[in-house]
Amino acid sequence: MKKLITVVAGISFLVGTASADVASDQKALIGHFKSIQPNVEFADYTNGVYAYDKGSRDQFEEILDGIPPYEEAVEKGGAEYLKYGLNKCAALADPAAARVKHPYYDDAAGTVVTLEGTIQKCYNEQTGKKLGTMKGKIARISAWISDQAAGEKINVKVESEGAKAAYARGKAFFYAKRGQFNMSCADCHVYNAGKKARADILSPALGHTTHVPMYRAKWSGLGTLHRRYGGCLKNMRAKPIKAQKEVYRDMELFHQAMSNGLEITDARYRK
Amino acid sequence: MKKVLITVLSVFALTAQADFLGSAHNWNNGSSDSFKSAVKAAEAGYKANLAVNMAWRDTGKMIKEAKKLNAAGKTAAAVALANKAYAQTANATAQAAIAGSAGPSF
Repeated sequence: MKKLITVVAGISFLVGTASADVASDQKALIGHFKSIQPNVEFADYTNGVYAYDKGSRDQFEEILDGIPPYEEAVEKGGAEYLKYGLNKCAALADPAAARVKHPYYDDAAGTVVTLEGTIQKCYNEQTGKKLGTMKGKIARISAWISDQAAGEKINVKVESEGAKAAYARGKAFFYAKRGQFNMSCADCHVYNAGKKARADILSPALGHTTHVPMYRAKWSGLGTLHRRYGGCLKNMRAKPIKAQKEVYRDMELFHQAMSNGLEITDARYRK
Repeated sequence: MKKVLITVLSVFALTAQADFLGSAHNWNNGSSDSFKSAVKAAEAGYKANLAVNMAWRDTGKMIKEAKKLNAAGKTAAAVALANKAYAQTANATAQAAIAGSAGPSF
């Protein structure tokens, strides 16, 4: 009996420690942002960089007050969701639930599953065709699905051993320096968030995933989170990795988990 | 006699040392062999960087460009560019060595 109690207590401790990893990482990250931007409330990080700069925020709100440039594309995504029978796949039948559930670690498959990965799989099952990974149809459909979850909170769970390992790999990728500029994602989006890089204000990592897929004025269109990862790596003069590869999926698990508790938003405009 | 012996031994020692240098090190920057060894080292390094997702953006282009230069007969420039590409792969390898344990510094 004593042994059993010890084992159960040991397991409980390990599970507690493991689930605390995400919570403690996020707490430390929030603490860091609080130290560099003491007046910005946690909930406002849903608006990303627009939580930092009033001028940019005014411009952002003006765009949202009119007809956002992505509105038509998102509506088209909704039509495509039905046209290609994505509602027939169990994983996407309830779009709001699908957005909240992803990304997650699939223990049976031993891999992180992203929303775009599920859309691709379902699209292939329904049409027999392949779907892209970064822009166009997949970004439109993913944006429409995400719109259905607007107002709900990001809640990434990292519980199993496999999930913890993927999370750790994603975290290491985020903080590792790479490319000719020897920079990490964190160098811009954690340590220097809010500062200017040429004419742009560096966005905080906290809240990065509340509005994905995002519309970027630079792209003149919608793009997935992995498209953005590729752009960031290019900027660091590192060779981008193909969207939906394991390293990006692992990083997305970490990246989304850092925004746990923030509202998913349909305001997807970014400069 | 003593002077001759010292000279012979010195030349021998230098030659032996040169044999131990890596294949990427080129004494003669103008020969086709030096290009081959330089580009081979750059390609091997680049392949290793790609395998661990740590390659730099322009290394592949530099290797391609070096090959073009060599084909155009500009061997010295080709060797210089291939060596530059190799240097990039060495730096990427150094980044990869510590990437796995990266974490926040706050």
